Amino acid sequence: MDRSRERTRDVYDRIAAHFSSTREYPWPEVESFLADREGALGLDVGCGNGRHAEELVDACDRVVGVDASRGLLETAEERATERAYEASVAFVQGDASRLPVSTDSVDLAVYVATLHHLPDRERRVRSLDELGRVLSPDGAALVSAWSTAHDTFEAASADDDVGFDTTVDWTLPGGETVPRFYHVYSPAEFERDLAGSALTVEEPFQSSGNCYSIVRSERKTS
Amino acid sequence: MKESLMDVLCCPMDKSELELEVDERADDEEVLAGTLVCSECGERYPIEDGIPNLLPPDMRDDVPA
Repeated sequence: MDRSRERTRDVYDRIAAHFSSTREYPWPEVESFLADREGALGLDVGCGNGRHAEELVDACDRVVGVDASRGLLETAEERATERAYEASVAFVQGDASRLPVSTDSVDLAVYVATLHHLPDRERRVRSLDELGRVLSPDGAALVSAWSTAHDTFEAASADDDVGFDTTVDWTLPGGETVPRFYHVYSPAEFERDLAGSALTVEEPFQSSGNCYSIVRSERKTS
Repeated sequence: MKESLMDVLCCPMDKSELELEVDERADDEEVLAGTLVCSECGERYPIEDGIPNLLPPDMRDDVPA
């Protein structure tokens, strides 16, 4: 199992066009999170084709999307131009565990379906620390990861104490499969990793086979 | 890359401010090619086709596919 971030980045560079074409619509959980929130700066970590950066544009004056895959960022740029929100958004290539974003600068962030691609617990918690660092004192973020409750994982359950590492194939239109590394979280482990980072768990929930939580920055919460 | 982005970007390694070196612009605001240089550690991050590459050096080196 190749769990390196370089490998995961290369995989998404390779499947970017097809992957992006299957990621048309924002998740309802992200829409709900943003529905009654607003801010000056929005951040989407692991932005992929930018479908959630697009939602952030409605809530924030400007938005930064970060992804490790340049191929995905190019699809995000195309989407923003086609849909005429490119003036409010900027896309940057970066690593979730070492964000190139200023401390205390972000009012609203989404970090969905990305955490599970980081190779080990240390990196995953470090990425959550980074999210805490960039959030402003009043800032809030929505974090999600694939969960053991998902139908795909028959041998696992939502009640498991810890999750597991696996690879999940992406199937290209020609039938070729490309393996992607995942750490599938149990909901209990997800909350432990969030609580063990520089984030405060505000509202954990499960939906559609994913664990979620609304979080704030721990060191800035009064 | 929009030049106004400079106030929210930082070096991914030490979080210090970046300085912008412009090679090519699309207009007053948009930088197509250039380099972001960390004011502290001196690490250089390329901007290519308008997208800054702020991956840390150990992930930035091109690996043959």
